[in-house]
Amino acid sequence: MKELFQHRDLIWHLVKRDLRVRYRRSTLGLLWTMLQPLLMMVILHVVFSNVFRGELYAYPVYALAGILFWNFFSQSIVASMNSLRGNAGILQKLPVPKAVFPIATVISGVVNLGLAMVPLFAILIFTGHPLSWALLFLPVSILLAGLFTLGAGLLLSPLAVFFSDVVELVTVVLTLLLYLTPIFYPMSIVPEQFRWLVRFNPIRSILEVFRDPIYFGKIPPPQHLAMCVAVAAIALLIGALAFRKSSDRIPFYI
Amino acid sequence: MSEPIIDLDGVSLCYRLAKQRIPSFKEYALHWVRGALTYEQLWALRDVTLRVGRGERIGIVGRNGAGKSTLLKVISRVLTPTQGRCVVRGRVAPMLELGTGFDFELTGRENVYLSGMLLGHSRRAIDAKYDGIVEFSGVGDFIRSPVRNYSSGMLARLAFSILTAWVPDVLVLDEAIAVGDVHFVRRCHERIEELSAAGTTLLLVSHAPDMILAFCERCLWLEAGRLVADGAPDEVLTRYEHSQGAQAGTAAPVPDSTQPPDEPTASS
Repeated sequence: MKELFQHRDLIWHLVKRDLRVRYRRSTLGLLWTMLQPLLMMVILHVVFSNVFRGELYAYPVYALAGILFWNFFSQSIVASMNSLRGNAGILQKLPVPKAVFPIATVISGVVNLGLAMVPLFAILIFTGHPLSWALLFLPVSILLAGLFTLGAGLLLSPLAVFFSDVVELVTVVLTLLLYLTPIFYPMSIVPEQFRWLVRFNPIRSILEVFRDPIYFGKIPPPQHLAMCVAVAAIALLIGALAFRKSSDRIPFYI
Repeated sequence: MSEPIIDLDGVSLCYRLAKQRIPSFKEYALHWVRGALTYEQLWALRDVTLRVGRGERIGIVGRNGAGKSTLLKVISRVLTPTQGRCVVRGRVAPMLELGTGFDFELTGRENVYLSGMLLGHSRRAIDAKYDGIVEFSGVGDFIRSPVRNYSSGMLARLAFSILTAWVPDVLVLDEAIAVGDVHFVRRCHERIEELSAAGTTLLLVSHAPDMILAFCERCLWLEAGRLVADGAPDEVLTRYEHSQGAQAGTAAPVPDSTQPPDEPTASS
């Protein structure tokens, strides 16, 4: 921990480098970050809005909030798995705390999410969705989402060093999870006997704390919030412990 | 000697090489189920016990693959020993390879910051040392051009300048400074003398006996991962060279540390 704090400038530098690479490669980079979720939202809206008319008003807002969360989560996880491999030279030659790489990756994911929120607000205003004070709660939601994602990234990134197929494996699991999380459908369409599957999906509890202020315009109820904090804390704890246990072996396998 | 700054106790390090390379989790699971996971063990260090006091200057010799670099990596805290205990008290500045941590697309200036931060320094601390680093490296206007345009001599100069801008507790050099020109090598020697006077412990791997005789007051000889000699440089070097001669029939070639000045490979 102390070492990580000592390297905070390095983490910040890595975040900036990450963002610069993402947005310099293509002039469309920044635009694409904002456009991709919007296009996705339009398609989901065209295909599903009739289906969910009974359950969901303002479907575009519901779907877009879900997509933004999911993009952040899945992209950050895949990027943290690649972050250690991408810095193999450093990890084999310098005594840098290895966690700086997944940490910087998740932080740059958060910055990215912030940028992608711009079109979300545009849609809120455009569709006349009520803007509530609860939106000010979003930084807390994003912080919790970030800690949860960091936990998952810390758990998975050493595995990606030990076995090269883990990245593909996780990609497949992420696709399954996408359908098991109420990103673009409402909870109510899941058949009663399977609803526990979705309900006990920890990602759902993080997602709802993120979406409640945007879609319902309300601060998440205390029990949801408590659940979300617990999920994020447990994920981070498991991730940190697993990372610490395996970090000595990383330079041998990279 | 007061409390040793480097304290290795029975350190062994094993690279576990899978006999059949198992790159995927699927194959690992299959092999594990069949109980067919076999490894070839390569012990790069065997039972090395070593105590080094503050300010000592130590040279390390040995054939290729004798474990010199592995020993430096263990002391630099890059690798954790498989067995034994390694305690290093204080900050280590390692130069294990030329230009590690440099991002070749970034300019020299940006790399000064990146490298400094990789060594654990804050942006502010680097700000304070920046001019001194550039001045000492002698790369001049090249500092504003991407590092990919640098010659290996310039890379070495810049890396060494960054590394030694602060007084580390332990300075670890893996044959790194033999690349610069005569003038720079002399300045390196002066810088090392300064650090040494300030209390830095020096560990130097070199195939050039002159370097070790010039700098070191103690010399280690590694052979197949074991520490076979530890003593005065002239004595250890004589024994080492003798054994090399006996082994190969000829003396090992001595790298020339006084190359002509490097020319930049491209202009900015």
